[in-house]
Order: sequence, then structure tokens, then C-alpha cells
Amino acid sequence: MGDKGYLFVDHEKPFRYEDEGLTVTRGSAWSGPGCHLGCGVLLYTDENDKLVKVEGDPENPYNQGRLCARCLALPEVTNHEDRLLYPMKRDPVYRGQTDKWERISWDEAYDLVERKFKEIKQDYGPEAVLFMQGTGRDISPYITRLCWSFGSPNFSLFLSGAACYVPRVIGLAGTVGAFLVPDCSQVHPDRYDNPDYRIPETIFVWGNNCVVSNSDGFFGHWVVDLMKRGSKIVVIDPKVTWLASKAVAHLRVRPGTDAALALGMLNVIINEDLYDHDFVDKWCYGFDELRERVQEYPVERVADITWVPEEKILLAARLLAESKPATLEWGVAVDMTKEAIPAGQAISTLFEITGNIEVPGGMIVPPEILKYVGGWGKDLLPADAAEKRIGQEKYPLFASEAQPDCIVEQLETGEPYRIHGAWIQTSNFLSCMAADPQRLYRAIKDIDFIAYVDLFMTPTAMALADVILPAATFPERNGIRLGDGAQRGETINKVTSVGECKSDMEINLELGRRFNPEAWPWDTVEEMFTFLLEDDTGMTFEELQQKAPAYPPFEYRRHEKGMLRKDGAVGFNTTTGRIELWSTFYHNAGLDPLPYFEEPTPGPGSTPELMEEYPLVLTTGARTWSMFHSEHRQVKRMRALHPDPLIEVNPQTLEKLGMRDGDWVWVENQYGRAKRKVLATPAIDPRMCSTDHAWWLPEGDPGAFYDVFDLNINNLVQWSPGKSGFGSNYKTALCKLYLVEE
Amino acid sequence: MGKVFVFDHAKCNGCRNCQIACKDEHVDNDWSPWAKPQPDTGQFWNRIEERVCGQVPKVKVSYVLHMCQHCGDAPCMAAAPDAVYRRDDGLVIVDPEKAKGRRELVEACPYGAIFWNEELEIPQKCTGCAHLVDAGEMPHCVDVCPHEAIWFGEEGEFPAEIAAAEPLVPERAAVDKPRVYYLNLPKRFLAGIVIDPEADEVITGAKVTAENLDTGDVLTTETDEFGDFWFLRVAEASWRVYVEADGYLTRAVDASTVDEDRNIGPIGLYES
Repeated sequence: MGDKGYLFVDHEKPFRYEDEGLTVTRGSAWSGPGCHLGCGVLLYTDENDKLVKVEGDPENPYNQGRLCARCLALPEVTNHEDRLLYPMKRDPVYRGQTDKWERISWDEAYDLVERKFKEIKQDYGPEAVLFMQGTGRDISPYITRLCWSFGSPNFSLFLSGAACYVPRVIGLAGTVGAFLVPDCSQVHPDRYDNPDYRIPETIFVWGNNCVVSNSDGFFGHWVVDLMKRGSKIVVIDPKVTWLASKAVAHLRVRPGTDAALALGMLNVIINEDLYDHDFVDKWCYGFDELRERVQEYPVERVADITWVPEEKILLAARLLAESKPATLEWGVAVDMTKEAIPAGQAISTLFEITGNIEVPGGMIVPPEILKYVGGWGKDLLPADAAEKRIGQEKYPLFASEAQPDCIVEQLETGEPYRIHGAWIQTSNFLSCMAADPQRLYRAIKDIDFIAYVDLFMTPTAMALADVILPAATFPERNGIRLGDGAQRGETINKVTSVGECKSDMEINLELGRRFNPEAWPWDTVEEMFTFLLEDDTGMTFEELQQKAPAYPPFEYRRHEKGMLRKDGAVGFNTTTGRIELWSTFYHNAGLDPLPYFEEPTPGPGSTPELMEEYPLVLTTGARTWSMFHSEHRQVKRMRALHPDPLIEVNPQTLEKLGMRDGDWVWVENQYGRAKRKVLATPAIDPRMCSTDHAWWLPEGDPGAFYDVFDLNINNLVQWSPGKSGFGSNYKTALCKLYLVEE
Repeated sequence: MGKVFVFDHAKCNGCRNCQIACKDEHVDNDWSPWAKPQPDTGQFWNRIEERVCGQVPKVKVSYVLHMCQHCGDAPCMAAAPDAVYRRDDGLVIVDPEKAKGRRELVEACPYGAIFWNEELEIPQKCTGCAHLVDAGEMPHCVDVCPHEAIWFGEEGEFPAEIAAAEPLVPERAAVDKPRVYYLNLPKRFLAGIVIDPEADEVITGAKVTAENLDTGDVLTTETDEFGDFWFLRVAEASWRVYVEADGYLTRAVDASTVDEDRNIGPIGLYES
């Protein structure tokens, strides 16, 4: 192990120490419960090793001692009385029945999963088993390796169009050759004081209520830190948020029309000659084609499409061009529209042609220790098995995971081959990510065998699982934090135990060894973590525990120094070596190489004939402070902050409908309906309404899967991917509201 | 002198850390003699209220902290002098032993900061985390605030803030002498957009004058690049708004901020 040039912070104390009768352990906070960050935490345990308190670690530059409510309430999750404490099984003939569960030992559970999956492999081939995950949990490297080492190419998630994060990642891979994140100095251990760093002049917060959502490795409070240091913000959001209230301009975009807005801004920047000529000449490819394309999006037309007044589009475009540097914090709203790839392409192009790439305070390629989005161990999958990956012929942009919409179709049709088993790890998809959840339920409920791993009993487990394995929360396990955003070396450190729960990686390692021992040569998860870490960091897991956080060496303008391509040439990691405004990658996949806008369907622009029946635009997935997707509903103090599923409606709209704040309503469209409580608020445009997602009631009827099918807003959402296979209309639908009759 | 809280609304983005930290500190923990355990739900010794004000498209979101005001002349102390007392450092404490069964204390607080504990049959509220203060630490809500929107300390540490502060409930301030000082409390706004309806365009740089019809005070501003004008942090009053622009006839519009923030909406000017 050698010095790899990593940077560290000074620690006053060892990573574990005693303080007034409690043991304090320093480490990273990731996951479960779900989260997209990995803040530095101090975990306090008592003499019985019970987790009693969590504080932010002031020494960790990432969050600088701060946390969110979900970590402050972590002991309430870890020690919750409803946690699954031991493995259970249920005969597949009793799926959905609440009283057929039987406690089993871990050995029996492992034996059962091993035997069933090996039987399916022998009878139908390894591709007949799906390996499905959720979001925000530290399992991607391990579940992909489990899937591929088993021999199945079918790792994925039950999310139409994989419409979360991945479209932006894949989209940028096809244009820039790498992902881009806003530079909030998170790559520097000395943060805002780093001499190379510059405060962004303007931050565009696009489709992301980042102080609430803390998504994709981005700690929302950084935006506020930068505002305090002088950054202006422009907010692109259908809803008035706190950030929007503080913005120099708030562009209240109609849900699903972000691509049109970005193309309109490109039109202004290009036609008014405000782009960065030097950067475009040296580093971009296809500018003339882009110039021609944006002529289709004059500001007047874009204002009509997006509901954003012309003046605001002009101001935002000019402000972006003037701001040196400008940066972008974008969110899942970009992915959760059907044509997500061209939307992400249009938005990122704004920051490319204005020369904000790889500059301090602009957009940077995030340092990565493990490229986890592509999974870990794809080389383990034999070539003939890889050819059987579901959806790859139809959607060539899907290079690692099976295409989710095609999986659902294949579950229904059995074509070209039938699915017989599913490994579902930390994904409560019937209440959270699945579009049209009742369709998926019908499609999957009769397959031969379903194994399920999670923290709590969920609607999905109650409906479908044949064996359920209890997973550990992060204070119950060791781990390494290699996830979204700019990676750094961080360890997750075990401080407590609950029941017989095991960590996700421990479960995967044990099963992996049973499926394919050569692919899993480690005796312990710690040995496995060291294997993942040592090449890049030069450290073992145990060394990193002491020294974390460890910052990879970082430089700006890496494209000028030959640091972004494997061949060491200058430029970007694309076919042309330039940022491809006209993407050869998309072109070769049979897709439009330039960004474009298509009206979301259904919607006021594409299906005007539906507006009489369904007059309101519906957007879903509003984030709350206290809950991560379908989690935290059983934690009383968190639930008290947001006890009911809400639909936010403008008071004018309510007056027309004869409804009031607090009424229970059905939100309905041509596909289905879901129950919501009305919150009257002027934060929402009268032409639309907005709701939170992933609802189920832990206190509800287990036989009705905790009332999930009454409450799931995705009853109104279809499996409907974009042309690339990425993106889906989770955030744009039409609906009507009517009162619930008791 | 003594301890005070200062809360700056401009810095609060509503994250609720203070609210959850209060639970973390007081649920399942018996900090007698200052407080018995707080129930997990149903009580909010510390609560953040979201305020969404105005009318589309001019809307603002802000957050207001509600907690015990640790009043200098506390109505709860007046209501039960035997059960409520002030510590030497100024923190007001409802004695959990002596206040047993005294449900009327919940009503005695004009700030809604005292809660009834059904199980223990006691009234309860914020102690200022007296147990932490005695150990030389900050109240837990102060410690977890990501943007230092809540401060706590000796009154003498905050002369400028206290001079600039306002009370949460102005009409009670003289009587209760609250010791939580609020900076940048959300105030009414009066806003609108000036347009040329014939050209279908906004008018930038128009002079806008707002006359407070109750006091005669006059405010002026100009429309910005969106044609918008904003009078922020204005009084609750009736207003007459005059709009003037070169080449246009001047117009006057009446509006009220008595009950709520006011977005007047589009004001059309016609060429002179």
C-alpha cells in the first residue's frame, strides 16, 4: 500500500472514544434507512451498545457538523419495535396472507434461497432470476456482483425508464464522457477556503428542492452556504419553495417542459452571441447543428409551452451567460419526464457552451473510487448470458441494467423467456417506484420464488415475499461509502446490533459464495471492502476507519491535462474527444443526436381533448423533510411532521371545485386513482396540483398490503419509457379531484 | 440580564432539525427537576410553522419558530406562582412535581407553548434545555441548526440583535416581556406587475408609489426587468398605488394588506 496523494483532515480523537459514560464512534451515515448522502456522524452508544444519540461530525468537511432530521431521529429507526428481527419464510401458495409467516434460522434461509435459485438456474437458465434494488441504499456494487456472478444479466429496478439519476448519468456519458456535478467545494477538505476554489456567481437550482431532498451526494445546505458567500440563485420549479423565495428569478415551469425551457435559453444565448467562443471552438463538437436546432425554440414559443414569461427566460439566459462561473444543481425532475435524455442534454448544454465545465465553482467531473453506477463485476457475466439481458435490443443505451419496462412486459408475456425467480433487496416497489403498481403486482405475483431483504415489513414483502431476510441499519454494520456525487474515502462503522439483522453486503457475500465462490474470495465483508479500496486509496478498510474522510487528489481543467481519458490524451472521454453537443453516441444508438422537446403525454400540449375530463396537471414526488421515499412512516415523531398523504392545490382551484383545505379527495385520471388530503396553498399554480409519493400505512390493514393500492399515486402513472428507454412521466400527468364519500 | 434566545427568520429554511432535536433530547429522557419526559407525539415544545403568503405568481415561503418565550413576566407564572418559577439565569420552568394536575396552565400561555401530558397529568414545555445549560452546553435545538438561525446566550451578548428584534406577538410584548427575540419576522408584501396591454409587454422602470391610507406614509420603487414591483415588509394597511411611466397615463389602484399579503396582479397602463 502506498501514498496515493489523498488528503485528510486532522482528528482530535481516534475514530472511537469514550465520552461521559457513552461510546462515541465517528463515521459516515449511509444507509438504511435510505439516504443519498453519507454525512459525517458521531454515533453515541450506551453500556449495552444501544444507539442512543446521533450528532453531526464537526470535523467532517462534507456536512461540517450538520445533519438532517432523518439522522437526528436515526435511533428511532434502528431501535424501532417494528423492525424485522429474524428471517422468515412463507409458502408461495400463501403469498399475500398475513398469518402464514414462519420464523427460520439464517442457515435455513440461505439454504432455501440457494436451493430455489439453483433449481431455477438448472431448469430455465440463470437469466430467469431477476435481481432488483431500490434507491438510496448502499447495495449497488454488491447486488450487481451477486446478479452477475450468479450468471443472470437481469439486474435492475422496478422504475419505469429507470427514471432516477441514471438518465442524467447515461445522458452525460453520451455527450461529455463523464458525469458532471456542481462544484460546491465538496472535493476539497478545506472547502470554501480552498485557494483554487471560486464561489459560483449564479447557481441554477433546476427541478430540485435541494434543501429538503439532499439528493445524489449533494448536501442541500451547501446552496445556502454559497448564498451567504454571495452566490445568486435562479430556481426552476413549478412550486414556490423557500429557495424560490430567495431567488433572483423563479421560473415556474410547467411540469415536464424543462427541455423546452433549456432550448429557449440556448436560443437566446446563441442568437445573442453570449456563448463562450473559446471553449466551444476548442472543446465542443457539433455547435453548428445545435445552433440550427435551437432556432426551433424562439422565446415566444417557449413561453407558451412552459408557462414561464418571456422576460424571465431572457433574464435567466443572459444571467447564465454573464455569470463566471455559473453552476447547476439539478434534480430527479429532469429524469422523471418521458424524454429525459434530451431534457438532460439541453440543460447540460447550457453550462457547456458557456464555458462552465471543469472550472472552479462550475460543473466538474466527480472524482470516483468505484464507478458504482455501472455496477461491480460485469466481467463475471459470460458473454452468452449478457446477450439475454432484457430490453437490450430495443434500448441499446441500456448497457448494464435490464430495461425495467421490458421486464414488466416479459413478466406478462413470458417472451422471449419466462421469469421464474426474483431477488428483491431494499425495494418497496409496490408503494414507491413502480409505475402502475397493480399491473406489476399482477405480473409478478405468480412467479415461482421471491426472496426479499429489508428493514421492516412492507406492502411489497407482505404481498410477494416467500422468504424475508432482515437487513441492518447502518449503525449495525461496517461498510464503505462509495456512492453518488464526488466520492471520498469514508467508512460506515458498526456500533450496535438489533435482533439477528445482517448487513446487505454480508447477505450478498454469503449468497455469492454459495452461488460462485471464485467471484467472492473474501472471508469477511471487511476484506471485500479492502479489495474495493486499496487500488485507488492505498488503504485497507481498517486504516481508512482511522483516517477517513480521505479526499482523492483533485485538479480543475482535467480535459486540458489529459486526465479525463484512459489514453491520456487531452479532451473529453467521447468519440471525438470533445463535448459532443451533437452526440455520436446517441446517433449510433439510432437516437436524435441533438436535444429536443416533446410534449409530455398525456398533457395540455399533447392531449387537449382530455383537459375537459382531467383539467389539472399533476406532478408527483414532492419531498418531505422527515421521510425518505416509502420509509419513516412508522417513526412517530417523523410522521407527526407530515401525517397524511397531501395534495397541494391553489385556493382558487379549490374554490372552483367547491373543496376546502383538509378535505379527503380522490385524485383520478384515465389510469387509476389515489386518496389524498387537500392542502390549500398559493405555492402551486392554479392550473396544476402537486403531491408527495410512496405512501402506505404501517398502521393500516396488512391483508390489504397496508392500504397501498388506495394511496399509491403511481396508480395514475403508466409504464411509458422515452425513446431511449430512459425517462418516464412520473412527474407529469393529468388528473381530476373529487371528494371521497365515506 | 440572563439567558435569551434570538431567532433569525432570514436564515431558517424550515429543515425541522430543531423540532426533531427537541424530541431527541426530551423523549424517553427524564431531566428532573427541570422536566419529565416529553411524549413522542402530540407536543411541540419547539415547532416550525411554514407560511406561504401571497397569490400566484407572487408567493413567498418562510418559516416561523414557535417555542416558550421564557417571558420576563410570564403569564404561566402569574397563573401558578407555586408551580412555575424562573431560574437565576432567566429560564422559566414548570416544576413537574408541583404542577401535577394543573391543566389550566395550558390555557394560561398566550403562545400555545404549554402542553398537557395525559399520562403523567402534568403541563409541560421547553426548559431551554436547562440540564444542558447547567453543563455549559447549548440547548439542543440551537446546536443542530445548520445555519445558526437560533442563538442562545447571555442577553449582553446580543445588543445589536435585541435592538433590531421584534416580539412574536407584538400586542403581548409589553405585558409578557418575552425573551425570545425575533429578527426578520415575515411581514406583508405588496406587489404587482405593470404592463402595456396594447403592446402585450411588461413596462420596466415604471415609477410605483404606494400611499398608506391609514398613516399617510409613502413608499416608492420602480418596476424591475420583469415589469414587477415589490414592496417588502410593509405594514398591514390599506394602500393606494400610483403607477407612472414615460409616455403613459398614470393609474391609481387600491389594495389592502390588512388580512394577507397582496399581489395586485397586472396593472395596465395606456399610452398618453
